[in-house]
Amino acid sequence: MNEMLEMLSFGIRLSEPFVALIVIIMCFVSLKGGRREEKALIALESETDDKTYPVLYWENSIGRSRSSDIRINDFTVSRDHAVLLRRNDGWFINDTGSKAGVFVNGQKTDGRWPVAVGDNISLGSTSLVLRRASDVGVQTAVREPKRFPQGVIVAFITLYQALLTLQAAINMMSAEVIIPSALFLVVMWAFYGVSKLGLRRLNFELESLALLLSGTGIILAASHDMKQSFVQLAAMVLGIFLYSFMLWFIEIPDRVMKWNIAIAILALLMLASTLVLGKSLNGAKNWIVLGPVSVQPSEFAKIAYIFVGASTLDVLQTKKSLASFIVISILSVGFLVLMSDFGTAVIFFMTFLIIAFMRSGDIKTVILAVSAAGIGAMTMLSVKPYIADRFAVWGHVWDYADGTGYQQVRSLIYSASGGLFGTGLSKGYLQYLFASENDLVFCLICEELGCIIAVLCAVVIGGLMIYARGVTTRSRSTFYSIAACSAGGLLVFQSALNIFGVVDILPLTGVTLPFVSYGGTSMAACWGLLSFIKAADERTYARHIPKQKKAPAPEEMFEQI
Amino acid sequence: MRRTRSRSFPVLMLTLAFFAGIVYFLVNLTVHSAEWVSKPYNGHLSDSTGLEFAGRITDRNGIVLARSEDRKRIYNDDYDIRCACLPVVGDDSVNNSTAIQTLYRSELSGYDFIFGLGTPDKLKKGNDITLTIDSKVQTAAYRALGDSKGAVVVYNYRTGDILCMASTPTYDPMNKPEDIETNEKYEGAYLNRAVSSSYTPGSTFKLVTAAAALEKDRSLEHREFDCVGSVEIDDKPVNCFSVSGHIDMKDALKDSCNAYFATLAVELGRPCMNEEAQKLGFGKSWCFDGIETAKSSYDVSEASDYDLGWSGVGQYTVLETPMNMAIRTSAIANGGVCVVPHLIKDMDGDLLSSAADKSSKPERMMSSETADKLKEMMDYTVKESYGKWSFSGSLDVCAKTGTAEVGDDGIAHAWVTGFTTDESCPLAFAVIVEHGNSGFSVAIPVASAVLNAITENG
Repeated sequence: MNEMLEMLSFGIRLSEPFVALIVIIMCFVSLKGGRREEKALIALESETDDKTYPVLYWENSIGRSRSSDIRINDFTVSRDHAVLLRRNDGWFINDTGSKAGVFVNGQKTDGRWPVAVGDNISLGSTSLVLRRASDVGVQTAVREPKRFPQGVIVAFITLYQALLTLQAAINMMSAEVIIPSALFLVVMWAFYGVSKLGLRRLNFELESLALLLSGTGIILAASHDMKQSFVQLAAMVLGIFLYSFMLWFIEIPDRVMKWNIAIAILALLMLASTLVLGKSLNGAKNWIVLGPVSVQPSEFAKIAYIFVGASTLDVLQTKKSLASFIVISILSVGFLVLMSDFGTAVIFFMTFLIIAFMRSGDIKTVILAVSAAGIGAMTMLSVKPYIADRFAVWGHVWDYADGTGYQQVRSLIYSASGGLFGTGLSKGYLQYLFASENDLVFCLICEELGCIIAVLCAVVIGGLMIYARGVTTRSRSTFYSIAACSAGGLLVFQSALNIFGVVDILPLTGVTLPFVSYGGTSMAACWGLLSFIKAADERTYARHIPKQKKAPAPEEMFEQI
Repeated sequence: MRRTRSRSFPVLMLTLAFFAGIVYFLVNLTVHSAEWVSKPYNGHLSDSTGLEFAGRITDRNGIVLARSEDRKRIYNDDYDIRCACLPVVGDDSVNNSTAIQTLYRSELSGYDFIFGLGTPDKLKKGNDITLTIDSKVQTAAYRALGDSKGAVVVYNYRTGDILCMASTPTYDPMNKPEDIETNEKYEGAYLNRAVSSSYTPGSTFKLVTAAAALEKDRSLEHREFDCVGSVEIDDKPVNCFSVSGHIDMKDALKDSCNAYFATLAVELGRPCMNEEAQKLGFGKSWCFDGIETAKSSYDVSEASDYDLGWSGVGQYTVLETPMNMAIRTSAIANGGVCVVPHLIKDMDGDLLSSAADKSSKPERMMSSETADKLKEMMDYTVKESYGKWSFSGSLDVCAKTGTAEVGDDGIAHAWVTGFTTDESCPLAFAVIVEHGNSGFSVAIPVASAVLNAITENG
């Protein structure tokens, strides 16, 4: 290769991680800086004593329990007495099985009951009046959001993608890679345009992060197999549609509850049909072939599973019944095990633990589930010896360098060969290994793009989870909070299985790295999962505020932020 | 909603564990990257790739053994030096698994942690490596071995510097023979027999049996015995080459009396023999500068008395690498503590430290009294049996030969191991000539030629 071009490619490699880092920093700073402060908009003023209870959230548990959002120290009030919640059409109170009942202006409530400013709410011997926070002297500061202009973030992703593409073109001495990259950029800007101008969404950080990862995956695919990059690109477009549809669909919590059972059945049907019609590729029978397209329904089942798990009719985790969810979970994991798709089965199980605990707070259920799974796993190990092989090689890959540790050993060697900035796209050797674009993709990035970019990919996924947790109290319903934490937890756990499997920190399970790994279904499903995190941020749905209103009602100030 | 938040704490912990795992991987990568990169499976560094810009390899006197020019690897101009040094230096391929160009290919090629192997050609600068070997001595060993297969190890038992680690057959790395895989002449040419092959040690093992006895009871030095040319153990004969008559241990070693040492081994018993062999390096491999030797083995736990007797004279299933033999001999020379050899004198950068961490540590193999006694006996053996003239140079040598029987119709392997007593030139050595038939008449001349080459060089 021409020496000058080689130096240029080297220079590009040195600059890429910094551009990626700038994008990531801008996204997370904006996500954090644009968040609403935890300040009250309305308050409950006690008539019995002089106390004022600020109402901070969209759903507020009221009760004697220490963990209640509004804690009333009155023995006539039940531990979990009621929930004060906000929907698009105003505030409501919902009795959550209290002994003494909930009375609004003297009338006993039944189910979800509307309340307005000035209404009197009686719980046991405590009498509360709903007030505007500003009227009772509770601080209601609204701060200016600190955000980077979202267009700048997208521009930086464009720069990053352009650098990657130029590097690949130089290394391969071919301009062909420009096609998928250019298409990617068109899709990205169109998505951004629709989001900002069409849907009037203020935020594009989460999408930006996912686009950063997806773009990296697409260019990796393009520099090894052009056809794969188009599959990946098409899957991303599909994923963006799925994402947009999901955001619309779950906007109204009540609609979510209504479809709950239908979606549960859909999830189980997807898994069951795979078991019946599925084709076996690489050991696991988890593919359905539809003409030229083969899909992994289990990827979409992940979305449905979280949906079903998080969307219970329980009001603010006051009920502890997990029975129906446990049944669905056992069936799902059972189907996956029968398909020999153990990686996904483990992911489902982890997601089950997250949802079960967040819903019930019941550590006993978790311990019980883990023990049951432990026994199940032991049985599996004795029935399917090849899984035991993976455990045998775990931690000793160098002793099995030409056997079961073949992939891990090469992955480690080539990760080390890449240094911090990589040997250059298409200049690696890991690409020649089986499954290098999916199972081994983390090390493929280490080798060709350098370990900084590889680690940044992991940081983005971990950061999504940290963010999902950060908005738990700011979401419009616990449904969103639980769904976001489950989706985030699932993505992190799956990444951990992928990355640590290949670098021999965990046994190799053969799951994909979200957004980055080659695999159409996985790519689309990850976008679907991202919608849960997006939906948890109240700002997502704060778009349609008529601007001409003079003074917003206090409760609408939520939406202005 | 607060409750939801507090219940999301485990998921936060999961995420932190994920980050911790990433950090753990990065630490691992930082610590091991140079080692991983050098693995022979690395496509970046296999065959002719990876040496285009590699650094120079020089011997202890600065003679260049290999360098890169115009993206090609150029070896020393002298044919004999090239062939002699191949087992140590290696060729363009990574077939010679213990060769420097295999083990240190990443370092030679200019690998560094920051840029990995991704540095563009224009900025590439390989690291140079200086070896402890002396190419003249190495060449002398190569010439002395001639067409025979065998190996020579010579190293300084004070500093550990390996002056010679020759192995034959070998070939010219600039002109690799095409029939290397098929021609019997090149059988095992990719091996450095000094570290990678283990052989029946034969009579050289009598030093181990003697050490076992002396360590157990000093007075066994005076154990007397009447040798009638053979001894019956389990009603089966252990034969000697000659009839020694009434002898003690010193004379038994001098005459290399099988009957004496077989009887001694049986008297000492299995645990004692096993334990002593273990102390002298059997049952393990040595590691230095990233080179791992083959294992030497001695295990008589299941042996019959007859086999135990034969094991005491280095037959039975006993196997030893030439390197282990040189190392255990160094312990005799060095007052009972062995010296771990090393091959790399100097390397650019600070790359050697990671390999040095893994090197074997010096061990006390026997008491200094035992060492001194064995030294005295070996000195006596040279003077009274082989004759001082057999080592023709100016150095005083203590030695023990071996003629190890292999199978029924195979010609015996010829061994000699020993050391010089001269403080200005303290060398331990081991020589094997496969199927050389006689330690005395075949192995000693090789050792002598190599030692002479060292003294001639000053």
